[in-house]
Amino acid sequence: MRREDETDETSVFRRVVLKNASPYHYMKICLVLDDESTKLSAVDLKLFILTGLKNLFGEVGAAISFDLLKYDEDTLSGLLRVPSRSLVKLWSSLTLLGFYQNQACAFRVLQVSPYLLSLTGNSRELKLD
Amino acid sequence: MVRVKSRYLLCEINVPDRSRLFLLDDRAVAAAVKAAVARMHGDYGAALCSIRFSVKYLNAHTGIVFLRFPKKCYRLLWSALPFITCIETRGQKIECFLNCLHVGGTIRTCQKFLVKYNTQQLHRMLPKCKSEEERSQVREAILKCCLTRGNKQEFGEESDSEDDEEQ
Amino acid sequence: MTTDLDQNPRSLLVSERSSFRDLKNRISSQVEQLHLNYKVSLLLPEYSFDRSVPRTRIDEDNCVSLTPKGHLTLSLDKDSFEVLGVEGKPSRFNHRVKKRFVVSVDLTDSCMAPGGRGYLRLLAGLKSRLRLKMDFLLSHHPGGGASLQTLLSRHDWSEHRPEVSRHTLTHLSCPALLTSDLLSCDPHSFLEWLGAAHAHISCGNTSSSFLSSLVCPEPKTALSRALSVSVCGLLLPQDIHRLLQQIRVYLEESHLESWACLTVHGFVDSPVSWGANEHGVLRGGENFYSLLMFHDDVYYLHQATGAHDTCPP
Repeated sequence: MRREDETDETSVFRRVVLKNASPYHYMKICLVLDDESTKLSAVDLKLFILTGLKNLFGEVGAAISFDLLKYDEDTLSGLLRVPSRSLVKLWSSLTLLGFYQNQACAFRVLQVSPYLLSLTGNSRELKLD
Repeated sequence: MVRVKSRYLLCEINVPDRSRLFLLDDRAVAAAVKAAVARMHGDYGAALCSIRFSVKYLNAHTGIVFLRFPKKCYRLLWSALPFITCIETRGQKIECFLNCLHVGGTIRTCQKFLVKYNTQQLHRMLPKCKSEEERSQVREAILKCCLTRGNKQEFGEESDSEDDEEQ
Repeated sequence: MTTDLDQNPRSLLVSERSSFRDLKNRISSQVEQLHLNYKVSLLLPEYSFDRSVPRTRIDEDNCVSLTPKGHLTLSLDKDSFEVLGVEGKPSRFNHRVKKRFVVSVDLTDSCMAPGGRGYLRLLAGLKSRLRLKMDFLLSHHPGGGASLQTLLSRHDWSEHRPEVSRHTLTHLSCPALLTSDLLSCDPHSFLEWLGAAHAHISCGNTSSSFLSSLVCPEPKTALSRALSVSVCGLLLPQDIHRLLQQIRVYLEESHLESWACLTVHGFVDSPVSWGANEHGVLRGGENFYSLLMFHDDVYYLHQATGAHDTCPP
């Protein structure tokens, strides 16, 4: 677009409303294991989630291209990115993952949003002590 | 009254050796479909396949099969059908693939389509007959079919009773 | 039963392009209307250093907010709402069964003056029937502390300072088209990149990598360094205004092709988002805006809300 000159300022204004247009959804998750000393690398975690998807939704489910954007090995928490239309599938398979190498485990979904930006400012993390 | 809606898939089982079609029974076909759905769509698909899925009709001569799926998820289950490469029956593996010809809401519409489809096929194949003898054989076979009109009647009744069952 | 596996709850993104020089620009009213700000993050390229709400969950507990314009909003569960006995309406976040109600009171109304009919009724409801106990986050203007002192003297209170954190990001890849005619970069991929920068997620992946295929929108350039500052706490729109003016001064002084990006997150659990519009959590509870400013006074404003919130102004 050409640069607007001073006399024509009003034409700069443009407003677009996008409804349900976000291509991805982002999830903040945390894995809780029975035995807290178990170590899990980022690759292990992604493989674990993939097996969950394959069990619940078969080969079609295993083909969902989700990303592990960030992972912290100490707290076993991470950020996932998933195409919006596969969010429900990924979420439900996370819920049904109950065992990691024969020990009970559970995924806690802390926050889900269509914007990665809003996962960086969650007021539920505010500490007032 | 509300009817529980279904979709009927009219499929053709293609095999390299047609004589082996006689080994098929509906239980084997159902098991093959269920296995394919479970592989492609996992536990979720297998669960969908356990409600109101059945093989309604199997013609071992022509390899025509009617599959009934719940209307809500028939697309998902349908998508697994191309992944069937063999059907196991009586300890034997029959290599095959399924070709879906028609999707209908009732067995009756599927049957109508099947009759039309078979007529079309016949018109296609008649000019290809090599000798007069073959041609007369085909003609004879058609006349035989025409005599057993009762057969068709029976079929229609079956689809009606099917509807009643679902009400 | 099965076909809605692909569906998601509603989300809304409003993106606006305008200029500070445009006389009709509404930026100040838009900043004014989001009262309960939780966090402000600022991203400055090529720069290396320089300088309220209850603690309850709105989908589980009762929640109260009071905005500077004298608008009191109570988001209550069904039992509390019926015990309180004040007029309200069902929340937009109900599904089939009405479990949550919103009571919205304009305290500047004449019948809400101390001693007035509505005032007495609400006070009786809150004091004798409902007996709510709540923590409040309060914020005051500089110099307005005196009137607050008398209120606070009757309650337990403690003072919290906003938490400031700074990070210098090095070797950050950024969309090359961060100029005032940002046409080829769609708002969603821009917000994704911005989120990745604030969350310290690297965009240096390839499409074939196993863990993540997040990449910076093309075409891109590399910044040798950038500064990411964030402030957490109950922040007033006035503070954000002041910050905005300072950023504009900085942009005017600095060299060409410069930009700054300001993101303001609202509280997830606040009963209102923009103005007095109802807000709820559902999944993410996002209500934030992001302001991308350029040296030639052109700005892009992205306002996002989720679920059943009404459209931002």
